[in-house]
Amino acid sequence: MELTVQLIVYGILMGLVFALIALGLSLIFGVMNIVNFAHGEFMMVGMYIAYLLSTFLPLDPLLSLPFAAGAGYLLGVVSYRLLIHHILRGPMVAQLFGTFGLMLFLRYLAMYIFTPDVRSIKQGILVGKTLSIGWINVDASKVVSAGVCILAFAAVYWMIYRTKLGRALRATSIDSEAAKYMGIDTKGMNALAWGIGGATVALAGALLAHFYYVTPTVGMLFTLIAFATVALGGFGSIVGAFIAGILIGLIMVVSGQFVSELKFSFIYIVYFLVVIFRPRGLFGW
Amino acid sequence: MMLEVKNLVKEFGGLVANGDISFELQRGEILGLIGPNGAGKSTLFNCIAGYYKPTGGNILFEGKNITGWPPHQVTREGIARTFQGMKIMPNLTVEENVMIGAFCRTGNRQIARKEAREILDLMGLTGEAEALPTGLPIAAQKRIELARAIATRPRLLMLDEMAAGLNPLETKEIIQTLQKIKEERKLTLFLTEHVMEFIMTVSERVIVIAAGKKIAEGPPVEVARQEKVIEAYLGERYAKGR
Amino acid sequence: MRQLLIDIFSFGDRPRFERIGFLIFIIIVLVFPWMVTSAYGRAVMIKFLLFALFGLGWNLIGGYGGQVDLGQAKNVGFGAYATALMIVWWKVPFWITVIPGIVIAAAESFAVAYPMFRLKGHYFAIATLCVALVWKELFIFWDWTGGARGVEIPIRSGVDFVYMQFNSPIYYHYFILFLFLLQFFFMNWFRKSKLGYDVQAVRDNEDAAASLGINVYRTKVINYTITGGLGALGGSFMAVYYLYIDPDAVMPLDLSILIAMTVMVGGAGSIWGPIIGAAILIPLDMYLGAWLGAQKRLGIDFMIYAMIMMVIAAKEPKGIWGIIERVRKKGAR
Repeated sequence: MELTVQLIVYGILMGLVFALIALGLSLIFGVMNIVNFAHGEFMMVGMYIAYLLSTFLPLDPLLSLPFAAGAGYLLGVVSYRLLIHHILRGPMVAQLFGTFGLMLFLRYLAMYIFTPDVRSIKQGILVGKTLSIGWINVDASKVVSAGVCILAFAAVYWMIYRTKLGRALRATSIDSEAAKYMGIDTKGMNALAWGIGGATVALAGALLAHFYYVTPTVGMLFTLIAFATVALGGFGSIVGAFIAGILIGLIMVVSGQFVSELKFSFIYIVYFLVVIFRPRGLFGW
Repeated sequence: MMLEVKNLVKEFGGLVANGDISFELQRGEILGLIGPNGAGKSTLFNCIAGYYKPTGGNILFEGKNITGWPPHQVTREGIARTFQGMKIMPNLTVEENVMIGAFCRTGNRQIARKEAREILDLMGLTGEAEALPTGLPIAAQKRIELARAIATRPRLLMLDEMAAGLNPLETKEIIQTLQKIKEERKLTLFLTEHVMEFIMTVSERVIVIAAGKKIAEGPPVEVARQEKVIEAYLGERYAKGR
Repeated sequence: MRQLLIDIFSFGDRPRFERIGFLIFIIIVLVFPWMVTSAYGRAVMIKFLLFALFGLGWNLIGGYGGQVDLGQAKNVGFGAYATALMIVWWKVPFWITVIPGIVIAAAESFAVAYPMFRLKGHYFAIATLCVALVWKELFIFWDWTGGARGVEIPIRSGVDFVYMQFNSPIYYHYFILFLFLLQFFFMNWFRKSKLGYDVQAVRDNEDAAASLGINVYRTKVINYTITGGLGALGGSFMAVYYLYIDPDAVMPLDLSILIAMTVMVGGAGSIWGPIIGAAILIPLDMYLGAWLGAQKRLGIDFMIYAMIMMVIAAKEPKGIWGIIERVRKKGAR
């Protein structure tokens, strides 16, 4: 019983991190219908920033969060302006290999700079500490990560649904032509979406770095997890990404209990089944 | 009787695009389909060609029930169609585009190529055989689509707004081409059009649909005079005003 | 019969410059092992031919079919494992082991294709990734296939044509060249056949293809199935060339990516694309690595390749071959 509750808690915590990772992907897709293959690589950038700042500066990894988010934002906007904007009008195959090329570029750039060595953050306020709530023991870093994820979700949700900027963003995602006629700077909106997408996922990366290995190849796995999450939640739905993330976290943890080598396989299978049998996902359009 | 459409119904969610449409098409005739925008002409076309599955009713082609058949099967049975939006294969040459149609009836490349060349010749496109279709003017692209459809050796050819985007001279040319291939290939034609000069001159008989229902049928001249038809296009006031 | 042979071997429909180019290419490849005697040089050439082989197979789905498939490594793995296991368990001669490899890969591809082709574009690409990764994890998990430890093929001395093991790279060179030519001429037949045209028609416009009598779904499934079988062939080669295989060597994501990249940059959808792509990437990869010396900093070659890819995506989706054709057309005018 204890073990089960422990597992569920762990699943939810990881799920919240997955949800945050997926949020950016869902947002970008919602606004301009392009799928970012390099999503996991943006996350990886966040991870490395947390790693670097905490290892080479006397900066607690927790404090690296804003820097990671900032770097993610910049990376998103720059990617949009230099590459994505030019492939949006092209054939879908070109879009695919555009973001695919970006993914490869970042992945191998990281490999070149950092080598494939596995790194981890060794010290920080949260690193390696455990919290005890009743009889449940959880990693402090995971709890705080989950908390930050919830906050980030709330912040993005608030921005999208309660601000003028958010309304402009939503308008662009519904019909970018019409939005343009209304005077909305759609190019700016697209860049913003990429910026927020990059920021949120890099933030998730910085959080993840507290308790997960940092390697240049970590991106693809999380891109796929993000895809599975977004597919399950419904492309374009923020609420969907949140709930689906938690579900995916639970699936991973539970299947990991039974067959730990295949825990990610279950996630891939979820993606496969969802897109084929229920393409709308839970909340999508 | 070549084609028989019986009580065809097509609904999209709550919207009834085709509501109880029936008509017959005789072998060798040229039947036109007209109606105001949104009347359900494309829907009817797509139901017959297999792109939509009818919600109700039956479609019989030469006695065979082809209701709900997928497009490739409908073509193999002998009904070919062209598209309103023009769906040319941009990465294949003109000749290859037509060969695809010919491949419907043969697996042999030489035969397909010979057939394609014959048809290109018939359509006056032999000079463009090696070109990529995207560089050619619209009138030529329409002829390529026509050539491609004919390569599948249809007995019934359905044309979806063939004259759209053509100037009067091009329209006249394509009418001539159409009549030529109808003779050569012994085709029956079923066409839908907005360009009145085109369809009223070419068709022997015309069906009018409006708001999903058939409202008139008969020779073009007669149909054009009917009050119901004028009303459908121009509104009640014009109809009464006549 | 005569017509079939002509269809397989003739390039009469391609411009003369291509035919001459190919001839020069073949001559170079044929005499290569005698002109270049360094072990490294020969290894690079063999790897180039192997990736050209992989690329030709992938070109069916990715180029002619227009569907980006990021899971080809699973098919390579099926071929590699079929060969390796049959040799190790039952001492089956190489050329017989090739058959089950191809059959398994084709069968799995066929089974997976049915649900998967409900998807298009990005969703399809991700699904292919998922399928390949699930298989890789399965192969690591399964003990009976050796798990993460892999399978080692016992070394035989001398020149052995039964198990295709040789003591000199020259034999391997002609071995892979033979496989390459097999697939190359298959592609030549394919691109001119009804199936080849149907596949391209479906790629260019599904609705139009259907209106011309093509069963779109079935065409996609058949195309994907053949691609699977072809991938396995290269896998079988890998097993007897490297004499050691494990899931990370024959089924990793990086291999799928490399295969797709090679073709996309070289020119997907043209018969020369995979060759051009491999001719650029493999030597770049192997020589840049060696040039950077003992402190080989991994990744720079792929970074360059990725940059090329992004530029191509923005400017010329038809790859390097597309650029060559464009330049030629301009010149012709």
